[in-house]
Formats: sequence, C-alpha cells, structure tokens
Amino acid sequence: MSSTLYAALLQSIRAHAPQERHEADLPLTISQRRAEAMLHVVHDLGGQPDGPLDKSLHKTALWEKRTHCTAECLAWRGVWVSEERRRRENDLGETLYFGTPYYARWLLAAAKMLIDKGHITPDELIAKMEEVRAREEDAA
Amino acid sequence: MNTSHQHTDAHTPIEGRDEAIEFEILETAVRELSIAKGLFSAEDHRRFMEWYDNIGPTGGARVVARAWVDPQFKQRLLADGVAACKELGIDWMAPTGHGTPSDFTWLVACENTPKLHNVIVCTLCSCYPRPLLGHSPAWYERPNYRRRVVRWPRQVLAEFGLIIPPDVEIRVHDSNQKTRYIVLPMRPSDTEGWSEEKLATIVTRDTMIGVAVPRIDWTTTSTPSGQARAE
Repeated sequence: MSSTLYAALLQSIRAHAPQERHEADLPLTISQRRAEAMLHVVHDLGGQPDGPLDKSLHKTALWEKRTHCTAECLAWRGVWVSEERRRRENDLGETLYFGTPYYARWLLAAAKMLIDKGHITPDELIAKMEEVRAREEDAA
Repeated sequence: MNTSHQHTDAHTPIEGRDEAIEFEILETAVRELSIAKGLFSAEDHRRFMEWYDNIGPTGGARVVARAWVDPQFKQRLLADGVAACKELGIDWMAPTGHGTPSDFTWLVACENTPKLHNVIVCTLCSCYPRPLLGHSPAWYERPNYRRRVVRWPRQVLAEFGLIIPPDVEIRVHDSNQKTRYIVLPMRPSDTEGWSEEKLATIVTRDTMIGVAVPRIDWTTTSTPSGQARAE
C-alpha cells in the first residue's frame, strides 16, 4: 500500500472512530470525572444517584431460602468462602447484577464456582437441570 | 409471558412458567449435584434450613427491651454485642458452632439519643445482623436504598415517614463482612411501668434498622387505626 493510500485510510478510520474511544485510548488525557466513572465497580452503590425507594416486600420463595442454605453449606464445608461468593456476584456484570433477583446472584455465582473449580462439568449441570425439569413437570 | 404469540406445536412453553421456576430448577440441580459429589450432606442443608426458619426480629426486640430495663446489660451490649446476645439465648455461633459463613460474629449496637439518630445499610451487598433480626427486608437489598441512604439519609428516612429534626445528627452505619450493626432505639417516654415483655412488642424490625422509631401504638402485631403498614 502506498503511503498516500495509507494516510487516506488512516484519515478515513479516524473520521469513523468515535471520539470517546479516541480519548479513552489516551488515559493521561481523560478527566478525573471520567476516570472515576470508568473505574467505578458495579456493586459500589453508596452515594450513587437514584429515584424514590421501592419499599414493597415479598414473601421469600422456597428456592430463595434453599439458595441461601446451599451457598452457606458450600462455605461451611470449605468449597468457597463468603467473600468469594460476594466477589463472584459482583463479577456477574451489570446486566445480571441489576437484572436478576437478589438470590439469583447467589445461585448463579454458586453454579459458576462449581464449574470453575472442576467439581461439576457444564454437561453434568445441564443434564441434571433437564432431569429436575422432567421431574417437576411429571409432578405438576 | 406474552400469551398472544403462543405456538401450538410440541414446543409450546408450559403456562405460567416464569424465571422463578428456572431458578428453582437451577437451585435443585446445584444442591443435588453438590450432595452427590460429597461437597456437603443433605443433613447439613437440613440443619441450615432449620436455622433459617428460626431466626427473626423477635430476638433483636428482646435484646433492646432488656437494654431499656437493665442499664448494666445495656453497657455490656454496647461493649460486646455478640456476648450480650448470648445472655438472652441468641447464639451467633449457630448453626455450625462457629457462626454462619456469611455473618461474621461481631455486633456493634448504635444507641440513639435525643441528639443522635442511627440508621444501618450495606452499600456493597446486603450485610445484616441475621442471627438477631432474621432476614433483611427486600428494600434493604434493593439498589435504591443502598445508593441513597448514605448521601441523603434525612430524605430517605422521610420517605419511610420518619422526620428527624434538623438539630438531630444522623449517623449512617455501613455494614460489612466484619462488622454488623443494630440500632438501639430510645425508649418512648410514655412506657413507665411496662414489663420487659410488653416493651419488646413495640420494638419492630424497622426500629432496629433505624428507619422508624418505637411508638406505643405501633407494635409487632398491630398498627395505629386508620394507618396502613408500609409493608
């Protein structure tokens, strides 16, 4: 590629690249405010702006109660510790963190931990879930 | 579920199936696999479920009522919360013998005074004095409460119907893995001569979180006439 073509190509790429991306590639030039926003972790909610409270309560479902006890038993018997559970919940990502019920975060963290540590395989988990699903449907 | 676009073939989703049922299936699978792999026993799980069913805010109410009638007990409670709970039969070491994995066994009681009001939160997750108050109310776990109460406590308390006078300081305690807090509310002035048991009935869960203060017409089982409970 000739240098003229290359320069034209670069120019074209730069014209299409979002300005945000261009600035973020140069960490020393971003503002303190933007740096704080970029470094802010998903679970650190204290002081973040928000609207009115939803003070409604719901009756604890059986799966929520069982999830609590399953996660605690896994910690009791040394498979993980509660700090690891919290870290794994925080690392589920913004969509799952804010988009799932409270105990779903515990549960997803537990399932991922069992797979990550090699206690179960994804195939085993899927097969087990299908078995449970079939059993529930038979009972229903 | 959108019912207007339902298929009629063999893959029709079962009516009423929602995400909660998916979580139910996932939980059962995780639990049964863990037990099958010997990670914990069915007996461990049963013991934890039993513990779960037996914790609740009445434990905290007994502790507060005792602190109101016994100044020496109050001093012990402020010095070492977990040891003081043990005196009333509330054991932070249950059910494993060394506490639950998620509730570190250190409790700080925060005493309200005419010039200081305390409120508790956990901004990073939902740490809560479970052995003493049972499970946290849903709003305590929701992002809205966690976000705002540390920056706008007066406004958040007002949303709960609790107006704190401007000359009273509000102190927000952010719970964490190592320290759990409980609010020790002020005893209402019109309760002279009340027994410890009767006092305990006005110490509701919300008064120990700090989003309410005890009132003689607002007990754990009844509310003032014409006033709906927030829950």
